[in-house]
Amino acid sequence: MTLTRRHLLGMGAALGGVAALGGWAFWQGKGQSPLLLSARNDDAGKHYCTGYFLDGKRAFATPVAERCHDVARHPFLPLALFVGRRPARESYLIDLRDGGLLQIVRGQPQRHFYGHAVFHGAGEWLYATENDLNEPGRGVLGRYRLDQGNLQLVHEGEVPTHGVGPHQLAWMPDGESLVVANGGIRTEGSREKTNLHSMSPSLVVMDRHGELHSKETLQHSQSSIRHLAVASDGTIITGQQYQGEAWETVPLLAVKRPEQPYQPFPVGASQLAMMDQYTASIAIHGERRQVAMTAPRGNRFFVWDLDTAETLVDVPMEDCAGVGVAGDGFAVTSGQGRCRYFSYQDGQVASHWLDLPGGWWDNHLRLG
Amino acid sequence: MKMRMRNVLPVLLAMLVAACSDPRQEVTEQLTNQVLLPAHEKWHGSNAALLVATEGFCAGELDVSALEQAFYRTLQQWSYLQPLMIGPMAEGNRSWQVQFWPDKRNMVARQVEDLLAAASPLSQEALEGASVVVQGLSAFEYVVFDEAVDLTSQGDRYCPLLTGIARHQQALSGEVLSLWAGSEGMTVMLTAFPNARFASADEALGSILRTQITAVDVLKKKLGVPMGRLNQGVAQPWQAEAWRSQHSAGNLQASLSGAQAVWERVRSLVASADLVTRIDAAYQDTGKKLAALPAPLVTLVQEPEQQSQLQSLYDSLDNLETLQQVELARDLGIQIGFNANDGD
Repeated sequence: MTLTRRHLLGMGAALGGVAALGGWAFWQGKGQSPLLLSARNDDAGKHYCTGYFLDGKRAFATPVAERCHDVARHPFLPLALFVGRRPARESYLIDLRDGGLLQIVRGQPQRHFYGHAVFHGAGEWLYATENDLNEPGRGVLGRYRLDQGNLQLVHEGEVPTHGVGPHQLAWMPDGESLVVANGGIRTEGSREKTNLHSMSPSLVVMDRHGELHSKETLQHSQSSIRHLAVASDGTIITGQQYQGEAWETVPLLAVKRPEQPYQPFPVGASQLAMMDQYTASIAIHGERRQVAMTAPRGNRFFVWDLDTAETLVDVPMEDCAGVGVAGDGFAVTSGQGRCRYFSYQDGQVASHWLDLPGGWWDNHLRLG
Repeated sequence: MKMRMRNVLPVLLAMLVAACSDPRQEVTEQLTNQVLLPAHEKWHGSNAALLVATEGFCAGELDVSALEQAFYRTLQQWSYLQPLMIGPMAEGNRSWQVQFWPDKRNMVARQVEDLLAAASPLSQEALEGASVVVQGLSAFEYVVFDEAVDLTSQGDRYCPLLTGIARHQQALSGEVLSLWAGSEGMTVMLTAFPNARFASADEALGSILRTQITAVDVLKKKLGVPMGRLNQGVAQPWQAEAWRSQHSAGNLQASLSGAQAVWERVRSLVASADLVTRIDAAYQDTGKKLAALPAPLVTLVQEPEQQSQLQSLYDSLDNLETLQQVELARDLGIQIGFNANDGD
């Protein structure tokens, strides 16, 4: 049976776990400032799963053992999986109302997480990119079913990602197909990269049961495809991290528009040079058809028009990290400095500082 | 209730004094005006002198030793600048245009010869369109110091390249200086807060320290790579920086001086007297060991009996880096970097 919002409303009281989340309907909305979810450290190096309202009020900061990376938010329940960063063996299922740790999701034997996962829209399944350490680098998509009664994720099989070193994944507009960035880098359970001269990055579209729909590559095999976002029309933007020679300037963004081949997104050479060969987080503003990207090594934040590739925002921002859509623009966190808000409208860039704590934010955030 | 002017003035003055007496803002301003900007200006000046010397040499008015001295001065200013290279010079791949290191596959020599074989005499336009490998001081050094090049008899072949590089360097440093000037220039970004780049003096100071600490880490690499630390202990003498001009240790000393210039200004902000003593000692210790090196690095790394001395120097640099990256950052409550150093 598919778990849906309707089912939950009807059966909530009968299900122990969902009943435990009884306040969820009241928790959502209420004119609250959007909740920003992100992994964060403190200056002693401890790791946290955090939730902050965008107005600066802290919702929770739950200490955890492993550093996390991205956050997979449940489509309608107040819970989210904070996903352990490569090569983490743990991820954390968090109750968003108070930060309570519902479950330490332990990786399967000979598997580790890559920092990214997504919940299926119907709320019953979660999919996480993982490494098969029996065949290091072979990407798999771990499937986890949400046990409705106990609010626990239960591993129920896996399928290949059809590539090496998978990283971020996202739903295509049909809600059943996934696009997966196979970074192409082989690691063997540590952070050491073992195949930088024989990398094989690829962009894969597959259905959630494992069937391959398409697999495409870019010209530069040392350009690791890492992060991505999908627009409502199915346009995919990816961000790359270049593992080749430090002085070279190669494309670091790519686009796959519906019915078109995967190809570099037309960004100028001077902008590429400012990125220092490294892109981090990508977000697409669906209504405004804008794509935002952080480049923490180059200390630079960008927004382009998704359709024309015109540069809308190109500003310095120290160690800029996660980016997410908020209102008319984008909220951006930083590993080093204060967080900011940027929007572009009618030829003008508007920006202000956010009242969030400064620094130590990991590279991804989720807003809602 | 109306406030009279004579009541308001003391309040305003107190606010002004409070603003001016923020020690972190003061230190950041001092660093900017007395250390960072002057280092960029001196580097630019050395590039101008290099161009004059190159043109003089190529016109037959100066001998090669004058050219070598001008090169050493430029290399010294460039090395001093590296720990102070916040902002424009650290962005947009610009630093590769000045120095190509590490040159793992002797690309400088090969690409210089390929370029001159393809375009002789070399035009400035051709050089500007060529790889960064041939646009900077590393290519200049190859031409002036490499045994394979007889500059005296082959001036016609190599002089257009030398002059072109000197012009490129002067234009580059001029461009960078222009990005420090003006109402949105780097000087303003480091002295008037908040601004488009930094929310506060703390953030700017953090960024200056991050630049400086990263440069100390690079010093470790500049020593460690030729020592063979990344090559299972087998020395790699030709991976030393500036091995052709035998100036590796001089470069390290100049960079250490640049890093120390930051520390000298930051010292007053440190709460722990013990930490100040230890960082002072670490600079002194590292400087002494560098000055005591008995021969060029390219020679020393090939002599087994020198390994303990080199290792001791490496350990000193490592200690200095740790003291600043961990203890100094903690004492100041300043963050040195997170995702930029270890993202995913």
